[in-house]
Amino acid sequence: MTRALYRAGIRPRFRWRELRLLVVVALCLTVGWISLESFRQGQVAIGDALLLTVYLLALGVIHVAFVVTGRHMDQILFPTAALLAGISLLVMNRLPQDLVVQQVGGTELPLGPLQLVWILLGFSLLAAIAIFVRSDGWLRRYKYTWAAAGIALLLLVFVLGSVTGGARLTLHIGPFSGQPSELLKVILVVFLAGYLAENRALLSSGITRVGAFTLPPLPYLLPMLAMWGIALAIVIVQRDLGAALLYFLVFLGLLYVATRRALYVLFGIVLFLVGGALLYVLFAHVQDRINIWIDPFADRQGAGYQVIRALYAYGRGGILGTGLGAGLPAVGAVPSIPLIHTDFVFAAIAEEMGMIGALAVLGLYLVIAERGFRIAAAAADDFRALLATGLTLVIVVQAAIIAGGNLRVLPLTGVTLPFISYGGSSLLVNGAVIGLLLALSDRGVDPPPRGVRPNAVVRAAQRARAVGGRVEEALS
Amino acid sequence: MTGPRVRLQQLRLHLRPRMRTRGAPPPLPGGAPSDPPRVGRSLLPLTVALAVAYAALAGGLAYWQVAQAQALTADPLNPLSLAAARSAPRGTIYDANGIVLVSNVRGPNGERLRQYSYSIAAPVIGYSSAIFGTAALERTYDAQLTGLVSLNPGDEMLRKFRGQPYDPSDLHLSLDIQLQRVAADLLGDQKGAVVAIEPATGRILALVSSPTYNANRVVDPTDGRQYMAGLQARDDSPLLDRATQGLYVPGSVFKIVTSIAGLGSGAITPQTTYADQPAELETGFLVDGFRIHDFPRTVQTDHPLDYAEALEVSSNIWFAHAGLDTGAQSLTDWAARLGFGARIPFDLPTSPSQVTGGDGPLDGFADRVELANAAYGQGEVLVTPLQMALVASTIANNGTLMRPTLVDSLTSSSGSVTRLEPQTWSQVCSFETAQTIRSAMQQAVEGEFAVAAAAKIPGVPTAGKSGTAQVGPNAAPHSWFVGYAPADAPRIAVAVIVENGGLGSQRAVPIGGRLMSAYLGVPR
Repeated sequence: MTRALYRAGIRPRFRWRELRLLVVVALCLTVGWISLESFRQGQVAIGDALLLTVYLLALGVIHVAFVVTGRHMDQILFPTAALLAGISLLVMNRLPQDLVVQQVGGTELPLGPLQLVWILLGFSLLAAIAIFVRSDGWLRRYKYTWAAAGIALLLLVFVLGSVTGGARLTLHIGPFSGQPSELLKVILVVFLAGYLAENRALLSSGITRVGAFTLPPLPYLLPMLAMWGIALAIVIVQRDLGAALLYFLVFLGLLYVATRRALYVLFGIVLFLVGGALLYVLFAHVQDRINIWIDPFADRQGAGYQVIRALYAYGRGGILGTGLGAGLPAVGAVPSIPLIHTDFVFAAIAEEMGMIGALAVLGLYLVIAERGFRIAAAAADDFRALLATGLTLVIVVQAAIIAGGNLRVLPLTGVTLPFISYGGSSLLVNGAVIGLLLALSDRGVDPPPRGVRPNAVVRAAQRARAVGGRVEEALS
Repeated sequence: MTGPRVRLQQLRLHLRPRMRTRGAPPPLPGGAPSDPPRVGRSLLPLTVALAVAYAALAGGLAYWQVAQAQALTADPLNPLSLAAARSAPRGTIYDANGIVLVSNVRGPNGERLRQYSYSIAAPVIGYSSAIFGTAALERTYDAQLTGLVSLNPGDEMLRKFRGQPYDPSDLHLSLDIQLQRVAADLLGDQKGAVVAIEPATGRILALVSSPTYNANRVVDPTDGRQYMAGLQARDDSPLLDRATQGLYVPGSVFKIVTSIAGLGSGAITPQTTYADQPAELETGFLVDGFRIHDFPRTVQTDHPLDYAEALEVSSNIWFAHAGLDTGAQSLTDWAARLGFGARIPFDLPTSPSQVTGGDGPLDGFADRVELANAAYGQGEVLVTPLQMALVASTIANNGTLMRPTLVDSLTSSSGSVTRLEPQTWSQVCSFETAQTIRSAMQQAVEGEFAVAAAAKIPGVPTAGKSGTAQVGPNAAPHSWFVGYAPADAPRIAVAVIVENGGLGSQRAVPIGGRLMSAYLGVPR
């Protein structure tokens, strides 16, 4: 069989480091599973480990697929995502199972199995993208198409989205429902990477002078303002503060990486503060969020309830945690923190695995950041570098936003904790993000297109600068 | 068997050279000299920013899970305490002599119930009910009693490795249930409160509020709701802890506070006399149109009284003069040192006592009339019995106010003991000031013309002050006594109030005397 693959141009490449890490992941998850079951049964037991077995087998299959198809990809990202999703499997299996129940092909699947299904789908997408995406042309070439698709998606949500938890987030189309804001973040990154890669030179060169500041030609500042407007619109219409914050921060991060101009970031932060102040004054739901953040105890049975319950969970967890199964994410069948399986899953982890466990989870996101930035730094051209940076930021910043909200470091905004929160949209999209990063990490990917002519504006600006330089020389 | 291995090696040989060609990135397009530097270099500041953000998250985790962990877990509204109440026995509560005050029993349906051995201790101990939650000490020490909080930080960390996750602690109180019994019997079915303190330590020896309730019936799963509804409907507020939350007009017992302020600020001395005072016995002391009178008496009318004589016969006129000389600001400030104006930090909820309503133009007082009246405990003065017991205790302890405490120690099920040591709360006045007041208070019980003579314990020097607090034209005055004994080496300080009990000297004073003598073991 190997010969057949070889003839087909596919050459296996062993990934020992990934395998070793996956073995560690499997050990951790098995120990976690045994710990949970042992607590439930009062004696050392592994119980019905079907879910865990299926998951570990799936990891093995994906690893073998990577080996057989032989791409020269990063070996750390996949085990990292696998550990995060494995922790999610443990937690979802531990929470009250009737938090979410869905009919899938005639059988009712409760929370734990359902999450496994989503994880498997997400990882299938991850593997498919990592294995089959050999060219970035389809992302690079059609950036305005992507932007249009994103805006269409946004409008669709504005018009058709249904309201859950005070925010218009969910889109139902036929039997399918999903949260488009998850997909939108990837589209946004693709567009920004394309736009910024093309206009980097201009954006990072000062041309307009305003007092002591040199700014690029004003039309190039428009994207910044447009982005700001989109973020505001999302907050106002969609009431999705988390997504707006995520988009804006990722945008600022990419803008900085593309231009290395701290002034932009400063300008962006000023815009952000102005926008935030405006929204606070104008919109009650924004005020509520901020007020709860400042003092949840002011309305402890009402608005502050969720946050206070999470704080109790942290207190109970302490440094080492209560142990899996021994915490109190639920009294009987009632979750002690509303939305503990989505927005507040970080609190559940911090309670049962303690500060140590929560720090480890944060550490895993930083591992993703390190790998992602490494891929960006080694990328063959600006588009790929910006794309890798943006995809990495999307995961790492989102994790920071929701963990910060859980911890009262930031006002609470409802975004998912990547790979851990329950939810199909989130797992699929984040799987795709890691898949893309893996594909980008393969330097054997088709080389970037050569000889792309700078567009007319760039050419004009370069010429103008050349003339300006000559004039300057002549004067001096 | 060797086939696959050979093939593998062949594959590797094929792979190696190809890997090198693949590894090198293709040359970059463009590369004009005006291009900005490679993107990769600006990743460092971004990484730093992310690291800072994640460090903030780690800081948040440490704050909630280490610094605030105990406080959060001990919060009575934490649902953990409900869960713990279902699965763990609560700790036992003992009195100062090791007598069991609260223990656990099984209810008719096998549920855990608290059994309260002494209903007279209800205001102190409260209840722990599946329906009504917790009250009083059962509430304050809920986390310790259920064992949610371990006494020892090391135990706390290793809790998850123990079989039983809860570590319930027993409470050992300073309360002496026999003294509590004496005090409750002395009050009988009169409404009122008694507080007894050990002056040198602040340990509460007895804290009685009458009427009170039967905590066993509150926690009764079948009868509890009905009983509670009945309690709430009653006019005499049996659920209110009068000793810590009842606010009463103090009358003449407040003269001790005026004494501390006057002597402490130097506005009066032990030798201070007011020349007009004997004449004003007849006419009244006219303050801005308001006449202040003494309670009619036939003794000590012939000469201007000094400080000790004024306290002995409880002259309102003398103390009205002294209060005006002391001044509004000074009176409020010195009272604040005793705890007035704020909630007393205590194991039970407390109401703040006040010298004045607080929004008048004269440093909070409406006018000089209010100030003059406040100086002898009328006006807008409102106090809790606990606050007055602390006043007596401060004088008995030579001017040092100890923090009042109810719990001597906690013993965890694993055997570790935490002692709560006495703490100085504030240094109220100088030793000399306290000595002056001490001798005057002794004279007020033992003097030739003493109003509070009924408090005298045979063979034991006794000090005290009676009070008759006017509460309106149609109601009998509140009857007050504060005092301590032995006067030369105080072991107990008390405050007694009988609501609408009439003259202090007739109701509250004998109760105080008998209570102190019972504690000191002197038969009467």
